[in-house]
Amino acid sequence: MNRRLFMGQSAALIGAASAFPAFAAQASNLQKAKIIVVGAGYGGATAAKYLRTLSNNSADVTLIEPQGEFVSCPISNLVVGGSQQISALTTPYDGLVKKYGVKMVKDSVSKIDPVKKTVQLASGAVMPYDKLILSPGIGLMLDKVDGLAEANKAGITLQAWKAGPETVALHKQLAEMPDGGVFALSIPLAPYRCPPGPYERACQVANYMKKNKPKSKVVVFDANPGITSKGKLFQAVWDNEYAGLIEYRPNSNVIGVDAKTKTLKFELSDDFQAAVLNVLPPMRAGGLVVDTGLANANDRWAQVNFLNFESTVAKDIHILGDSIQVAPAMPKSGHMANQHGKVAAAAIICELSNYPVNPNPVVTNTCYSFVNDRDVVHVASVHQYDAVEKTFKTVPGSGGLSPEPNALEGVYAWGWAKNIWSDTVG
Amino acid sequence: MKKMMKIKMAFVLTAMTAAIPLSVLAQSNSAEQIYNQSLAATCASCHGTGGVSVAGANMPKISDLTHDQIKKSLIEYKTGARQGTIMPQLAKGYTDEQINVIASVLGKKN
Repeated sequence: MNRRLFMGQSAALIGAASAFPAFAAQASNLQKAKIIVVGAGYGGATAAKYLRTLSNNSADVTLIEPQGEFVSCPISNLVVGGSQQISALTTPYDGLVKKYGVKMVKDSVSKIDPVKKTVQLASGAVMPYDKLILSPGIGLMLDKVDGLAEANKAGITLQAWKAGPETVALHKQLAEMPDGGVFALSIPLAPYRCPPGPYERACQVANYMKKNKPKSKVVVFDANPGITSKGKLFQAVWDNEYAGLIEYRPNSNVIGVDAKTKTLKFELSDDFQAAVLNVLPPMRAGGLVVDTGLANANDRWAQVNFLNFESTVAKDIHILGDSIQVAPAMPKSGHMANQHGKVAAAAIICELSNYPVNPNPVVTNTCYSFVNDRDVVHVASVHQYDAVEKTFKTVPGSGGLSPEPNALEGVYAWGWAKNIWSDTVG
Repeated sequence: MKKMMKIKMAFVLTAMTAAIPLSVLAQSNSAEQIYNQSLAATCASCHGTGGVSVAGANMPKISDLTHDQIKKSLIEYKTGARQGTIMPQLAKGYTDEQINVIASVLGKKN
């Protein structure tokens, strides 16, 4: 090597290095930032995973979740109906940790300080953050139905709308119900988690009754004026497959529960007594969102900037999934929360890299409902960001429903479930 | 002298690389890469991360298809030339340009 060559190479290297400072600083911001994700459901777990993959595993991501395993709400109505076990919907978090390098803390967050940018854990530890993602799911407003909090605590009147022990317990109540008994299911005014979910549940309970307790029936009390999702499809199934097994009563808002006599009380109609009461109370954002003052839409849901899912009232706090004030025609669903997680993760990686966030994010939704233990109906939609209206809008001509229940989509539904569980938790 | 130059060269290289984390040299997606990957990730909810469907899911493994195969399928679903259950409904929600990006990200690389 001669001196000229050496100098030339050095100059080239120094030239290259001079292009690096901004680059290095960007990467350094990304690597230094403490990112905390609270809640390892469809939204939070997906966000944590994609924060790692979109940063080529350089982002420091801590996921805080009190549960030891992921239990899916979608498909859980099959556990209520008895055709599946809860274990079939349960996935460990190992993949997130071992395969994707997410740091998991098994705890819950008791308090957030948006000014000091810290979260306090139930165990007492305080953790600082640069970016915080909240994905706590829904909060059940048990106090909106007189007597429900006590009846639920006593294990008498279950919700089973957060999949887990109550899902299993509700099936047990159904199994122990005498033939000829009535299973009363009440639905709150929309918006609530999983719009078609209650109607799928009615199908699953009726499917169980048809095989095991044919003298029984399901009575659905809906606070809404009609079936809120897949209406014609569900109605046709009820009329044909479950004739005499499902009775549907719209405009029926439950305001009270008497646990001792198993009686529902209504705003307008007469009291109703049943063998099993499954009351879905009104819902709002998860408690942590509400307690931190982030539920700024009707004091129930959190408004976010849809480009990055940042709260409109707290910088560097991003909110995903069922807790947000949704865009028009955007359902509160696990699939949608998974999609929120990806948009938020990409935006946060961009922000920490000093890149502009994606001005054109897209999210989709696919929702399968089992009408028995084989046949399925779906609803699907695509939502593109509209820069003028600053919200997601469905694309005209896209999306739609199944023409009728079918077994092929039953196979697809399980394929969807296995893939989205893997996409969410590793 | 020649040996000394080599040492100096090695020093310069070491000093420079030491100032830049190794992972930076090996990584950092561009903004466009992040946008494109997150767009393609809309498919992952049904088809698996990176289009790699998990075993036993009975879902088409997109990652085994080429860019051209994915693009052709999606365009055909979009125009109605190809029938299906959900894909014709979803494909109509993407622009042709977005379909091209999705095919580029998820398609088999070789």
